Amino acid sequence: MRAILHSRLLHWKHQIIPLLFWLLLPIIAIIGFTQLMNGLQKDSQIPVGIVLEEKTELALNLADKLDQSPLIRLDILEEEQALRQLEKHELDSVFIIREGYQDQIKKGSRNGLVKSYQSDLSFAYTPVSEMVASYVQEETSRMKTAFTVQQLSKQYELENTWTMEEISEKSKDIERDQNLLRTTFTFENDNEEQTNNSLPSWNKWGLWAIFALLSTLFLFDWVIKEKRQSMQTRFPFIRFSFTSYCLWNTLLYGGLFFISDIITLLVFHFLLDQPISLSKLGSMMSFRLMLVTGTFLLAANMRNRTTYYGIAFIITLLTAIISGAIIPADGIVNQFPIMKWLNPLAPFLNNELNNFWLYAFLLLIMIWYIRKEKSYASYR
Amino acid sequence: MLHIDNLTKYYNKKQIFKDLTFSVEKGEIIGLVGENGAGKSTLLSILATLQTPSAGTLTLNDLSYNSDWKKIRKQIGYVPQEIAIWDEFTVRENMLFFEKLSWVKKTEEELRQLCLEMKLDQWNEPAHTLSGGMKRKLNMAISLIHDPTIILLDEPTVGIDLKSKKEIGSYMEKQAKKDEKTIIYISHDMDEIKSLCTRIICIGQDSFYKNLLQNAGKNVLVF
Ligand SMILES: Nc1ncnc2c1ncn2[C@@H]1O[C@H](COP(=O)(O)OP(=O)(O)OP(=O)(O)O)[C@@H](O)[C@H]1O
Ligand SMILES: [Mg+2]
Repeated sequence: MRAILHSRLLHWKHQIIPLLFWLLLPIIAIIGFTQLMNGLQKDSQIPVGIVLEEKTELALNLADKLDQSPLIRLDILEEEQALRQLEKHELDSVFIIREGYQDQIKKGSRNGLVKSYQSDLSFAYTPVSEMVASYVQEETSRMKTAFTVQQLSKQYELENTWTMEEISEKSKDIERDQNLLRTTFTFENDNEEQTNNSLPSWNKWGLWAIFALLSTLFLFDWVIKEKRQSMQTRFPFIRFSFTSYCLWNTLLYGGLFFISDIITLLVFHFLLDQPISLSKLGSMMSFRLMLVTGTFLLAANMRNRTTYYGIAFIITLLTAIISGAIIPADGIVNQFPIMKWLNPLAPFLNNELNNFWLYAFLLLIMIWYIRKEKSYASYR
Repeated sequence: MLHIDNLTKYYNKKQIFKDLTFSVEKGEIIGLVGENGAGKSTLLSILATLQTPSAGTLTLNDLSYNSDWKKIRKQIGYVPQEIAIWDEFTVRENMLFFEKLSWVKKTEEELRQLCLEMKLDQWNEPAHTLSGGMKRKLNMAISLIHDPTIILLDEPTVGIDLKSKKEIGSYMEKQAKKDEKTIIYISHDMDEIKSLCTRIICIGQDSFYKNLLQNAGKNVLVF
């Protein structure tokens, strides 16, 4: 093993740039894509200004609520500045939360709480003002309820009386519990729900898996390079048969990929907020082993590198299309349930360890090894 | 040390050679000559265990090719006709690569010495920048890392200048005389064959080579 490692390091030393490129491509691609998507989302947001004449809890809540909307980019400004920006059309519309907002709401009054401005080019004014109005309505009615409850409990002289705040909190809790209006996106029976309150959702791991497939295929061109006819005459006179040389090196590449996969997992966790777990790590390793074994089998059966690269692209493209990793392919899967079973990416994306393809490839490698070992090393 | 007895080779129905019988002793340099397609490379690769004969027996130092081919391989240095080196590696890296995978451990200094004995001194040059002669030398040096007792070379001096030819020739002579290695090599260069070889094996029907070499007073075996 050490001998193989030493000899492989000599190769890697000369291939350091393509090696790093292909190893890091999947992770760089995902980070790039995420940035791009976030950028697109930012650009498509409508700039809205808000002026807070008072910084009470309810006023800040309103600002928060608007900010959470994926369609709005909220700027908190001073009135003068906000109006100047509105004139220059840097803002679509401006909402001013007036002094006394919280007090008025608590009194159940809804008039003149928010002042709004729009320009001749405003197109988000109506929906945003609707949002503001509905929010104010929510708050005032919550306060009204609280007031009524308090009055009632006073009337019947109940022992435990609540404050207005407590009742208001309680009613918020109930709303939250019953908030079923969020759309969720799941990949097959993925149990991590991804809240889909942003722009078009895409599966980060699915995309990564496609890039990982491509990079594994391209990094395994060493098999074709090193099995060229002239080199074959060297192997009878060294310690390793060509078959065992290949398998040891495949293992080394597996180790290299393992390191890059761990880095990927950490990047996904810390940069992209993806949850990591033992089952993710496990499914990642089984997925990687499947890639490595399958790719090795392909490369071991090919002679021409150009053809190999072409096939690598075609395989990647086909997998991307039919696996549903990028574009959900529920239609096909529902129609042909076998597709789900045959999908090489599904176990990984569902955090499962067992992969039909992995077992098939391992079996094929065993057959390949036994057959080759016989034909190379025997002398009849 | 090497005994060849009634060696016959067919490719499918086509007979390449038949009933070759000869022995080779330690320290000999044997030239293998014959016209193109006569079967020289075929014979050499059979001697190198890379192919099996259709009939006949082979023994090397009392080891039978049939049963002890694994042990025999450790004693054989086979220099392929096609250059088998890593082009992007330097001479040093090429030597190190094959030393790592070899049965025999050698220090970097020993490997370098092996190259220097052949007058291959571009230790840190990438192989693809070497001249044809230097590449041939490296191709040969790699095959000798595991200290084989018998060296089989398929046209080691083809297409290189006279100086490199002489250097490879004198290296082979030194190996045979000083280290008592057995050398069997194929060449089409009759001057080289005449000056280096103790004996010559000529295969094929054509008597051109036979006459030429016998007239020069050489010991020629004809098959
Ligand atoms: N694998 C093979 N299958 C069938 N025929 C072969 C095979 N290898 C070689 N031959 C034939 O056997 C004959 C001897 O080939 P070989 O390469 O041994 O000749 P050679 O003496 O080395 O010729 P050259 O001087 O051109 O190198 C040739 O006619 C060749 O066509
Ligand atoms: Mg030949």
